[in-house]
Amino acid sequence: MMDGIQIALLGAALAVGLAGIGSAIGVGIVGQSAAGLVTEDPDKFGQTLLLQALPGTQGIYGLLTGFMIMQRVGIIGGGLVNLSVPDGYAFLMASIPVAIVGLISAVYQGRVSAAAIGLIAKRPEELGKGIVFAVMVETYAVLALLASIMLLFGIPV
Amino acid sequence: MPVNDTIYAYAVGRIRALETRLLDRSRFERMIDSSSAEDALKVLAETDYSGAVSELSDFHNFESVLTAELKNSFDTLIRICPRPELIKILILRYDVHNLKVLFKAKYLGIKSDLFIPIGSLDLEKLAYSAAEDDYRDLPVKLRRAAEKISEDFLMNRDPQAIDLILDRVLYEQLIAVARENGSAFLEGMFIRQIDLTNLRSLIRIKRMGLDREFIKKVLLPQGTLPIDRLTANLDEPLESLVSSLMMSDYADLIEEGVREWLEKGTASRLEKLSDDYITAYLKQGKWMPFGFEPLVGYLWAKEIEIKNIRLVLVGKINRLPAEAIRERIRDVYI
Repeated sequence: MMDGIQIALLGAALAVGLAGIGSAIGVGIVGQSAAGLVTEDPDKFGQTLLLQALPGTQGIYGLLTGFMIMQRVGIIGGGLVNLSVPDGYAFLMASIPVAIVGLISAVYQGRVSAAAIGLIAKRPEELGKGIVFAVMVETYAVLALLASIMLLFGIPV
Repeated sequence: MPVNDTIYAYAVGRIRALETRLLDRSRFERMIDSSSAEDALKVLAETDYSGAVSELSDFHNFESVLTAELKNSFDTLIRICPRPELIKILILRYDVHNLKVLFKAKYLGIKSDLFIPIGSLDLEKLAYSAAEDDYRDLPVKLRRAAEKISEDFLMNRDPQAIDLILDRVLYEQLIAVARENGSAFLEGMFIRQIDLTNLRSLIRIKRMGLDREFIKKVLLPQGTLPIDRLTANLDEPLESLVSSLMMSDYADLIEEGVREWLEKGTASRLEKLSDDYITAYLKQGKWMPFGFEPLVGYLWAKEIEIKNIRLVLVGKINRLPAEAIRERIRDVYI
């Protein structure tokens, strides 16, 4: 039978895994667009790198959430907590916002950033606006992270 | 999640950079306003064409620069497009053009250097095939067309059959490939081109006073304007054709184009407006961050740019007034 700790760890794995997948796809899309632009115009490397980094944050949020779960259940920091199955599920559920929103928002942020690559190809001086468009998507990843953290700290273990 | 179109991310990123190097309207204005063809060429030398233009020993040979540039664009796009077959289909037009030139040379005995060395078929092999009447090396559709032309010419001795048969095969093939690949955008472009070609043929034939049977042979069947409707009021004056098309997408273009055609006796306005119509359609791709559309748009933009450069330079060499050149210049894509 599944113990509470395993369910909590599934939550940690999903947070890190799904948000990470999203970021990998997002960063990958922007990277391809950026490579296309830099082939023709190598001077724009710095600007494109900035845009490529943006969809990477979801992966970091996922990792942060994962770490917090690991720390609360005692995987890191020692002293494994004896979790009941319902408590385990509570951790799993707390990880869901950052896992799912992270996955999807990173892909869309990647698409916006890639569009911004097209923008700086024509108007390099408007990099700031391109970043703002991409960062709008970030809002929802941050909100999801916030929700996950609040849920995590609310679990009485 | 729509991730399929991101296979074009690299290509579109690159196109976005290439688009910035297309010549804009103001550059063409400067070329038009320059005092001679040589001065116009100097304006061209300030752009991406500088390398090729500086190597030109005699400016009358500018055509080689333009062809090389166009070939280069096609080659680049074939290299970077994840589905190169979609770009290759756009080259078919040049193969068909070369075949037409070849057949006309063969059957009418005209020596011709109108070949455009852009097609996918090797020109020397093509000439050999035509000379030997052996078309085994051609792609299936073109082979059948070539055999049909040989046959037809033996029986009817009618050189017009060359254009008719080849145009038909060209558009059949274009539409078939667009459908096979599920590219509604590409199909939309071809259908618009068919409609516009049909309209031009219709008006031209009508002005030549040819009969209904011939028109039916010329009009291409895949367009959105039904052939029956196009030929319905054939015996009435051209104005009635214009009014019968008032409800179609082509109303404005047909009205202005036909009016100028009747006034000045030349189709050049209608041809310009037709090109502008396709440009306007393809401009959708300018705003797409992913997908195949920006690639087609860029290639068309390059073709139009080269057409415009040719118009200006030929106009300048023939000392046409600036206004006459300006009228013919196509809208630019950027």
